[in-house]
Amino acid sequence: MKRILVVDDEESIRLLYKEELEEEGFAVEVATDGGEALRKLLLFKPDLITLDIKMPGMNGIETLKRIREMERQLPIIMCSAYGEYKQDFTTWASDAYVVKCADLTELKSTIRRLLRLL
Amino acid sequence: MPGHPDAFDLLKSIIDLSTSSLSMETKLDEMLRTISSSFQSDRCLLLRPDKIIKNGFLFHLSQKRKPIWVDEESPLQREEVLLEEEDLLCPTFVCIPLYDETSFQGILYIGFLRNRKFAPQEVDLLLLIAKEMGEAIQIGHLHRKVEQTISELTALHEMGKAVTSTLKFDELLQLIVETGLKILKAKGGVLRVEDRRSEELRVKCSIGGYDQHPLDEKIAKRVFFTRTPFSLHHSNEEDSFISILCAPLLSKGRSFGTLTFYDKEADPPKFDERDFQLLLTMANQMSFAIENAMKHYEILTMAQENEKRVKQLSTLWELNKVLLTTVNFERIIHMTLTAITIGDGLGFNRAMLFLVNEKDRLLEGTMAVGPDNAEEAGRIWDFLSQRRGSPSELITQIQPSSEGNGVLNSIVKGIQIPLEQEECILSRTVLEGRYFNRRFPQAEEGWLQNRCERGCHLGSEVGCYVGEHLGRDPKAYSFATVPLWGKGKVIGVILVDNLYNQNPITDEDIHFLSMFSNQAGLAIENAILYRNLEEVHQKLKEAQTLLVHQEKMAALGELSSNIAHEIKNPLVSIGGFARRLDRSIPAEASEKQYTQTIMKEVGRLEGILDDILTYTHDGSMTFKELDLREILEETLSMVSGGFNNGGIQLIKKFAGEVPKVRGDYHQLKHAFFNLISNAFEAMNGKGTLSIRIHPILKDGSSFIRVEVEDTGKGIDPENLHHIFNPFYTTKDTRLGLGLPIIHKIVTSHQGQIEVDNRPGEGVTFIITLPASEERRGE
Repeated sequence: MKRILVVDDEESIRLLYKEELEEEGFAVEVATDGGEALRKLLLFKPDLITLDIKMPGMNGIETLKRIREMERQLPIIMCSAYGEYKQDFTTWASDAYVVKCADLTELKSTIRRLLRLL
Repeated sequence: MPGHPDAFDLLKSIIDLSTSSLSMETKLDEMLRTISSSFQSDRCLLLRPDKIIKNGFLFHLSQKRKPIWVDEESPLQREEVLLEEEDLLCPTFVCIPLYDETSFQGILYIGFLRNRKFAPQEVDLLLLIAKEMGEAIQIGHLHRKVEQTISELTALHEMGKAVTSTLKFDELLQLIVETGLKILKAKGGVLRVEDRRSEELRVKCSIGGYDQHPLDEKIAKRVFFTRTPFSLHHSNEEDSFISILCAPLLSKGRSFGTLTFYDKEADPPKFDERDFQLLLTMANQMSFAIENAMKHYEILTMAQENEKRVKQLSTLWELNKVLLTTVNFERIIHMTLTAITIGDGLGFNRAMLFLVNEKDRLLEGTMAVGPDNAEEAGRIWDFLSQRRGSPSELITQIQPSSEGNGVLNSIVKGIQIPLEQEECILSRTVLEGRYFNRRFPQAEEGWLQNRCERGCHLGSEVGCYVGEHLGRDPKAYSFATVPLWGKGKVIGVILVDNLYNQNPITDEDIHFLSMFSNQAGLAIENAILYRNLEEVHQKLKEAQTLLVHQEKMAALGELSSNIAHEIKNPLVSIGGFARRLDRSIPAEASEKQYTQTIMKEVGRLEGILDDILTYTHDGSMTFKELDLREILEETLSMVSGGFNNGGIQLIKKFAGEVPKVRGDYHQLKHAFFNLISNAFEAMNGKGTLSIRIHPILKDGSSFIRVEVEDTGKGIDPENLHHIFNPFYTTKDTRLGLGLPIIHKIVTSHQGQIEVDNRPGEGVTFIITLPASEERRGE
């Protein structure tokens, strides 16, 4: 079973993603900020991470940089409310960029593509 | 032979005569008569030197200086006697040559027809008498010389008196010539003086009209340049004789003029050496007087010029004082023109100002000051002459309203002359940067002779206008133009004329006007700058207001962007959980409808938020060379779901060769996506979507034209002009920001968007984007 770490400061988003992805057959762990994400990375050893960009404290881009220092191959999907960071080259270190949407179809298909489950 | 019977009486009579106050000629006549009667001679003569024939008997006698006694005992050697002398010589005679210390005075001749012998006593007596006669002649000569010298001295004295009596140059010269005429008894005289500036000899005074004589100027020039006096006595075949004396006027070794005299009042009218000497003395003395008078004259002229300068300068100062009182443009030019027209200022009848419009290359009539007709002119001048005060006070008192609305002013304000119209004197004043002073004789019909044939306004309007008043029969019309200089370039032209009093415009007037217009030009330039400053200030104020408005808008945009961010996350969870809920509800349950509604509305809210953020967020655009066909293909693949239902048919017409555009891939894709989505929505699942791309040429430039045509219901004409307004939503469309975003993206790509709206049939959106430069350069 593939393990996914969802990093988001919004509790309802974390809950939604966790339930939806678990339903898809993934093991899901959540983190509320960048610091917790880095700790869980070592403990939980996820196969993929979804990373919110706008977070208090260490934001998604900073967290992405720190994770990449530790895990160069780990697939990471940047999630943001809007597409404004798409052109920001700092997000290019991630593997995908998904704009948050109530319809999680795009997120799910991106996860499956990165985990080669298709 | 015995001694002379009355020798004593004879000697006494001779001595008496010699010491008498009779004139020399009478004295000699009386002496000869006394001798003749005393000796009872047949002939008794005094032969003057000029009566003695050269190389004759008497001539030799005079050379020998010895008396000769001829009688029976000592007869004459006849071979020496000339034929002409034969008659004179009696058988017995005495010849005694008379000499003083220096010269031969004549021969005393006493002849007897009878033979006679001379006693030694008689010989002594006659020698004594001859000596006495010689002395009388000598005294007579001396006397005459003294008299002549005295008269010359008197004349010179008179001349001296005359020349010191006046310092008026012309009067003095006249006096000199007149006195010279008197002294030399000449028929005419000419005085020339060198003109310092042109270095030419000019006739300053001429009496007798001899300056017209062909020789006159030649001789004067020769004497002037050689600084050597010259005399000429010339007679030609027609028996006319001319005698000329000419002397240079010298000062410190250089000549500054000539004095010439013609023809003595005598027959023949020939001057002698004495006259020549006299002229030289005269010229020598007069030189000083003339030079002094010249200097005096020059100083006087200079003083007059200085006085005029000072007056002009003080007027200028007055006028400048006025110009400094304001920076108001209208006021400045009105005061400038008033200063030019009032009598205490520059005193022209009328003044008109034209300013250069650099942008349109035009000369534009700006203002005119001057009476509309002669009556008004008289009234104004009367009025002004009653006013008191300095020019500066007068000028400031005259308000533009009092005459600013005159006919002339309104005519001038309507004049526009292209600067390229080089025949026009006003344009030339600007282009050549110099003044023109023109004086026209009155034309036959009482109209100005219009030299400009290309409809120049000066001729056709001002000129014609002027022409109306020429019915009052003016003799001439004078006008002048001067350029108005402001900071090194000509900013306008001032046109002045003297229509009413027809005074000629002198170079002096122009000079003064130029001086003033230089000052006025600066003042006007400053006023223009000030006016521009005020305009710019006004614009800045407007720009500031706009900026404040835009800042507000930006703040509003940021606010909405922030709000949108905050709303997005909750919305995603609401929508997400609604979907989860929806999946757990059986299709037939009535709750299914509720979850569906939540999902739909959340979707709508998400769309609105996306639009708001795209509109308010500028984003950083990355411009690349793009093929619009690729972008459209990609956009179509995003909405391909719409075609799968089969309700909507797609017609693509893409040209084979389409130039690339420079643009931002994401923005353009967003724009076309919005456009196509709108079309889909408008057709409500059924219809035909046509997309065409082809290159076009517009104004010589290459563009790409994209047409998106739907067969929907079209746009309500009522809403048509609102469709590109942000935040404007029609009742029946989902998105308020779709079209404004498209508009914003297209215009930020230097493109254009047009709408071909056919209510009930459909809409065609036409987007035109410029082809990239690189493509065009190929």
